Amino acid sequence: MHRIFLPVLILILAGCSGSSKPEGAKTFTIGMSQCNLGEPWRVQMNADIDAAAKKHSNLKMVFKDAQNDTLKQRAHIEELVSASVDAIIVSPKESQPLTEPIAKAYQAKIPVIVLDRAVQGDQFTCFIGADNKKIGKAAGEWLRKKLGPKATVVELKGLMTSIPGQDRNQGFRSGIEGSGLNVAFEADMKWLEPDARKEMESALARLSKIDAVYAHNDPGAHGAWLAAKAANREREMLFIGIDALPHEGIAYVKQGILNATFQYPTGGAEAIDTVLKVLSGQQVPKTIVLGSRVYTADNVEQGGEALP
Amino acid sequence: MLRAAIALLIVILLGLAFHADGAFYKIGTHRDALRQASVYGILACGMTMVIITGGIDLAAGSILGFTAVCFSMMSIWWSWPPWMSVPASLAIGAICGGISGSLVVWPRLQPFIATLAMMVFARGLAKTVSGGVKVSTALPNGDGTFRYVQVPEFFRFIDSRILGGNLSMVTVIFLLIAGLGGVLLARHIWGRDLYAIGGNEEAARLSGLPVKRSKLLAYVACGFCAAVAGICQAAQEQQGDPEAGGGYELSAIAIVVIGGTNLMGGRGHMGLTLLGTMTIGYLEKILSINAVPEAGRLMLTGVILVAAVLTQRRRRF
Amino acid sequence: MRRISKRFGAAEVLRQVDLDIYAGEVHLLAGENGAGKSTLIRILAGTLSADEGRIEGSADVAVIYQELSLVPTMTVAENLFLGRMPRRWGFISPSELAAKAKEWIDIDPHAIVGSLPIGMQQRVEIAKAASRNAKVIVMDEPTSALTAVEVEQLFTLIATLKQRGCGIVYITHKMEEIERIADRITVLRDGQAVASRPAPQLPRAELIRLMVGREVNEQFPSRTPAIGSERLRLKDFTVHAGEIVGLAGLQGAGASQLLLDLFQDPPKAISEGVALLTSDRKTTGLVLSMSVTANCVMAGATSSWRNPAAERAEAQSLAEMLRLRAASLDMDAGELSGGNQQKVALAKWIRTKPTLLLLDEPTRGIDVGAKQEIYQLMNEWSRQGVAILLISTELPELLAMSDRIVVMRRGQVSAVFSHAEATPEKVMEAAC
Repeated sequence: MHRIFLPVLILILAGCSGSSKPEGAKTFTIGMSQCNLGEPWRVQMNADIDAAAKKHSNLKMVFKDAQNDTLKQRAHIEELVSASVDAIIVSPKESQPLTEPIAKAYQAKIPVIVLDRAVQGDQFTCFIGADNKKIGKAAGEWLRKKLGPKATVVELKGLMTSIPGQDRNQGFRSGIEGSGLNVAFEADMKWLEPDARKEMESALARLSKIDAVYAHNDPGAHGAWLAAKAANREREMLFIGIDALPHEGIAYVKQGILNATFQYPTGGAEAIDTVLKVLSGQQVPKTIVLGSRVYTADNVEQGGEALP
Repeated sequence: MLRAAIALLIVILLGLAFHADGAFYKIGTHRDALRQASVYGILACGMTMVIITGGIDLAAGSILGFTAVCFSMMSIWWSWPPWMSVPASLAIGAICGGISGSLVVWPRLQPFIATLAMMVFARGLAKTVSGGVKVSTALPNGDGTFRYVQVPEFFRFIDSRILGGNLSMVTVIFLLIAGLGGVLLARHIWGRDLYAIGGNEEAARLSGLPVKRSKLLAYVACGFCAAVAGICQAAQEQQGDPEAGGGYELSAIAIVVIGGTNLMGGRGHMGLTLLGTMTIGYLEKILSINAVPEAGRLMLTGVILVAAVLTQRRRRF
Repeated sequence: MRRISKRFGAAEVLRQVDLDIYAGEVHLLAGENGAGKSTLIRILAGTLSADEGRIEGSADVAVIYQELSLVPTMTVAENLFLGRMPRRWGFISPSELAAKAKEWIDIDPHAIVGSLPIGMQQRVEIAKAASRNAKVIVMDEPTSALTAVEVEQLFTLIATLKQRGCGIVYITHKMEEIERIADRITVLRDGQAVASRPAPQLPRAELIRLMVGREVNEQFPSRTPAIGSERLRLKDFTVHAGEIVGLAGLQGAGASQLLLDLFQDPPKAISEGVALLTSDRKTTGLVLSMSVTANCVMAGATSSWRNPAAERAEAQSLAEMLRLRAASLDMDAGELSGGNQQKVALAKWIRTKPTLLLLDEPTRGIDVGAKQEIYQLMNEWSRQGVAILLISTELPELLAMSDRIVVMRRGQVSAVFSHAEATPEKVMEAAC
């Protein structure tokens, strides 16, 4: 997957003016409704979509950021419908409240690609998403292979009141089930690096030996590493995280901070592929589950390795 | 002072009771409790000055984020030496504070409104200058690839420890700020002006005190403290996160109140804020080493906030 | 009330106090500041409980404090019936409300309370108490902020209340009022009731002696003015060094505003030797939450850094000079009694060495002894060549203390009298 990372504003400007289109070819306008550009992963999603769209000179992107506000996102979808765009990509903030606006767009004969978070019913063209449980399980299985039985593991959880947090927790537990790996300390770090560092300090105070730290996101794993480094214990354990954004998790692997990071794919490129198929009249599946990749020191320069 | 010490004592007794297999007895636990509370404490020092004038500064957390981003850009992206990046970052924080202060002093906006506006604005500023991403040692090349640079030495210096690894540098910085602020409040004529303004602004004005200037400087001092906190935060995270410090202003206010400084203004001092910081720091640490789930922590923190303030209550005339 | 005692910590505030309140009678409670009057009232009203003693007979007690307890943003009628508005199907009926309000008060029921003059607000408060069938109404220095006309209206209202069978407990420091309306007088001194007699049996000299516990020979100390050069020139009059000029006028006639105008830019005014004692020490004079010391040395700071030892020494000498009675100079100014607070408000200006002193009601709400001390202080200042501009709504005080009287009416000077030619009648005539 080709990745470009640049500030979104610049990308939008470039997307609007940069591509030259061949004379006479039909231009398609695609609306992208993003729920919250405050999250780096979603910034990456938009960047992936834009990069994929730029390869096709007949695609014109319109990005909307709902700033974590469900009602604002609903208004954005309605705006895109009344502007009669040729297709809509939407990464919804919440399932229930956005089901109806998305269904209305679909009924207005506009193809709607739902990214990352599903909506209810079947009134959309295609859902593209990754499976947090599967990724968590892969992380568990990876650790299981690396560590002997009875190893001590610290789990730094995102937020156990959020679905991704619950899935990454459950998947991991199923991955290490029966291995003898012992999760001796677990705490919510609210997806935040400073909080992860604080919780890791407590884990270090309580546990005289830690074999691995599994954090629900890469900044969390990085915070744990900082705490262990301050205690001169970073060489005693493995650090693994999830998300594998190029400037976060992958960078940390390259710098030797993390031992592994598991990609939570944005599906941006797949969304553009699907849009093109729909616009050219091809059939697409109702649901596409994205595969994940693992990045380690051995394979990071080769672009990681696909998980089964 | 005594009552604030009682709140801290109760929290420490709580730690002795729930020592988490002896983790509470380790010196490292206390060092980490203070390290982790230091950034909040530095914010709370500035907040104390504003609260003594009867105001409030909701922008402190956002200014922290903005200065963390600026400091990281100067240090990592542009490789400025600390003698340039530190004063520049402190000046940025002080200017932000000065803007909210000016809004309070001249158009006479309510501090809540003026600093709420600054809170939102500074957060937007942080996201704009950083391009919405963390300013880290992974530098974008512009074509989707990154090159990696070393973490600046000065970051490591701030995140280091002294006294045989038993005291974090950020805690030292916090104690310096609290000491400086404490001396200014207790001994400088400006500090006395802040008490007079918070106690009775009209009486202060009619006594010939420079009410507007002193009030403005309180917000400047709060912005300055937020910048110090921002530098510490960036150094500890090894990056400038535009989201850094979100909600920290509320923790700082809680620290000031738990210490016993009156939200109505006119009363309180830096020693109380020092005790409040330690109370909050130890409370969080005890909850953390016992691995209390987040939901339980939120409820317990709420209960302890109310309990601490109830023990602080004094007779009003 | 029988054998009421109360202590605050180590201080015994009330000792075995008896107080009999009869229907249809004005019972005057006299005593210096700090004698225990306020505490006794709070026990009577039930906001404080006595350590010893009991209240016999059951009566609804309403207290009209100096700070009125009205909602300034609501109308007269709404304030009167707050919490018990006449309702129709759960909705408040404005017309019925206004009609009911008119039974109790002759002020427009739709007027917003905050926009009314203070005297009218007070009548609303009294009407509110009466309409709640209070059997005893306590008035704590009700005339301290009222104009002469408003005082007369208040006295008429009190007469009506007496006819209705209300018992009234009245607190004042003004001798003229005591003589006019008291039916019975109880004198409190240092927490004890030293006398309780029908008013005719207690002449003024005896009353003052009982209150202060010593003979007070003359109410206003005499003085030989030594008028110096001109200190202040205004459009209609001048003030000279060593001269006390009295400013008379009804509330809102512009006297207070005149002083504020002279003090528009406080730092500049202070550097020019002007000092302003505001009329309300609590809201504009002192910082109640700061220590006595900090208040004493607040104005005219000379260095950027404070010196606690020097501040304390200075406050100590000021306290001795003004005969300040405070348990400690570190206590909050708000914990002092009214008279002592006023002394602190004055002490603040001694260190700036003013040459023109603007005094707005310097003796409001303080006891006879403290008044004496403030008069003597004013005389001392003028002897040193300080020019004083004095406002007082107590006409006898103004006439006695001033070398000249300037009368104001509707923002303009309407007459100027010398000390010799000024009489209460002439001044009132020029003011109204």
